[in-house]
Amino acid sequence: MTLFWLSFGFGLVTTSVLAVAAIGLSLQFGITNYVNFAYGDFMALGAYFTYVLNNEVFHLNIWVALALAALLMGGFGVLINRLLLGPFARRFHSTHYVLIVTFGLSLVMLNVIYSIWGADVRFYALPFGVAHHVGPLLLTTNQLIVMGIAVALLVAVHTTLKTTRLGKSMRAMSDNGTLAMTSGIDTKRITTITWFLSGALSGVAGAVLGIGEGNLTPAAGELFLFVIFAAVILGGIGSIYGAMAGAVVVGMSTEISAAFINPAYKLDIAFVVLILTLLIRPNGLIARPGTT
Amino acid sequence: MTYYIFTLVFFLFDYFILAMGLNIQYGSTGILNFAYIGFVAVGAYVTGVAAMPANVTGEHYILGLGLPFPLNTLLGGVAAMGLAGLVALITLRRLRTDYLAIVLISLSLVFYDFCNNDVSLFNGADGLYNVPEPLTRALGLSSNGFIIFFACLTGVVSLLMWLVMSRIMRAPLGRTFRAVRDDHVTAAALGKDTFRMQLKSMLIGSFFAGIGGGLLIQFGGSFNPTAWLPGETFVVFAVLIVGGAGNNMGMFVGALLVETLLVHLPAFLPDIPGHPGLIEYFDLALVGLVLMVMLWFRPQGIVPERVRRTPSFGVSEKPEHEAGRLDRTTALAAALGAVEPAAGAEEGR
Repeated sequence: MTLFWLSFGFGLVTTSVLAVAAIGLSLQFGITNYVNFAYGDFMALGAYFTYVLNNEVFHLNIWVALALAALLMGGFGVLINRLLLGPFARRFHSTHYVLIVTFGLSLVMLNVIYSIWGADVRFYALPFGVAHHVGPLLLTTNQLIVMGIAVALLVAVHTTLKTTRLGKSMRAMSDNGTLAMTSGIDTKRITTITWFLSGALSGVAGAVLGIGEGNLTPAAGELFLFVIFAAVILGGIGSIYGAMAGAVVVGMSTEISAAFINPAYKLDIAFVVLILTLLIRPNGLIARPGTT
Repeated sequence: MTYYIFTLVFFLFDYFILAMGLNIQYGSTGILNFAYIGFVAVGAYVTGVAAMPANVTGEHYILGLGLPFPLNTLLGGVAAMGLAGLVALITLRRLRTDYLAIVLISLSLVFYDFCNNDVSLFNGADGLYNVPEPLTRALGLSSNGFIIFFACLTGVVSLLMWLVMSRIMRAPLGRTFRAVRDDHVTAAALGKDTFRMQLKSMLIGSFFAGIGGGLLIQFGGSFNPTAWLPGETFVVFAVLIVGGAGNNMGMFVGALLVETLLVHLPAFLPDIPGHPGLIEYFDLALVGLVLMVMLWFRPQGIVPERVRRTPSFGVSEKPEHEAGRLDRTTALAAALGAVEPAAGAEEGR
């Protein structure tokens, strides 16, 4: 039973990371209608930005470094959209091209990260973690902060989407871009803001992934990508609330399964979830209106 | 020197085969197969375990049949085909572009994860090594001689496979593939079973992937999971896009420019002291950049797909008033869906 509760605790951490990553990916997909295959490398870059601010220059506190890296990644997301993906998406009618470009971007980013930071495993300078008993769970301060960040971000995204003009515009664009444009929504501005949010969320997700795992490597984001995909597809691609729900299911099931099967395969459980979703409910738990 | 040159020659021909396989899937049928390297890996592994004797100390693997050259590689090709059939049955009927690409890339990562961790299947993260060099003993070759011999052999194999592929591309089957790619709704309306077409395309392409992988493992004598992370699929895509999707000769040009000159030639450069692997990283990043630039400025590739002229193609070139009513309908269908009109007409004759 102790093993179960231990896995449960890890599950909560993974769910937090996954939820942040999944809403970042979903927001961007909802607005632009294509998947960003470089998202895992966005995460890795965010993790390394945090590392640089935390360990190499300024020696900032990890959480401050994380916030700054998130802002940087937001800017990076906007740049990538403006200079690369946006033009490709506008020029080619078929999404094949832009998908191949994001795939290529992932290769470029991964290898640039490798060139700069090398293949060595790196570690954050974390404040010493004290273990706390939360009910039957045993969690360190850092793990609790990671969960807190995730919950805060989810609430923030939810509030933005439901109560602000910006959120309303985003939901309108996600439902029907052309209609939103003819209704007078500045779609270009919304797209830019969405890319900023998506980039920033990827940065946070990458850094908390590194904190959760205890180390960071350039390929970590890429290997985590299919777990995010599983959560996003389970939830219904492009649906923010679906992504949150999917993150809970996938995050918990991968970690809890590690108590029963060889932990080396725990991420593959995500793939099983993915395949089952496709077989049983291909549109996901919460299907986006207008998609079939 | 001979060693280097013939290594490059080998990779040229091997990637020619691999690119042709991806070309029929993506270039002809429009299946965005981001798991392509997974099928190459299955071909390589199965060829490896089929060629190796039952027991080699220090390695764990299944089968160990000790089969001679053409048989083991064929088995690899068939194994890749089998996996492709399974994947296609689960995914192709349900999914289109984005979803399919996501599932396939996930599949390739899971597959990597599995082979990396499970030692009993293909020796885990260490990968297979000491795979026998085919026909070396029978022909009494030195190790340099083997490189030359095998590069030439791969050339012959790729030539044969090119002949087969050109035949498929010209045949009604190839034309139907293109119709499905250009507009699957119109193709289905004309009575084509688009799922079956995509399935066939997946099978044929994966067979090519398997053969290419089989040759790869026998050339190097080893294969391990790091050789097939998703980035490698991207290299094959780069070959395809640079060469020109939909054209087999383009695959050769792409393999020459991307795989041989861009990926493998710099691998022979000495490492920059203190920065191991830096050249390789730059190199792969460069491949990504080249592909983006290419897609932007010349999306049709260096050797673009030829517009094929079938008997009824001329219809659209006739002045409007000369074309009969029926002809005009056909021309309209051609213009709307870009389905080559002869695809249905010829089979009916």
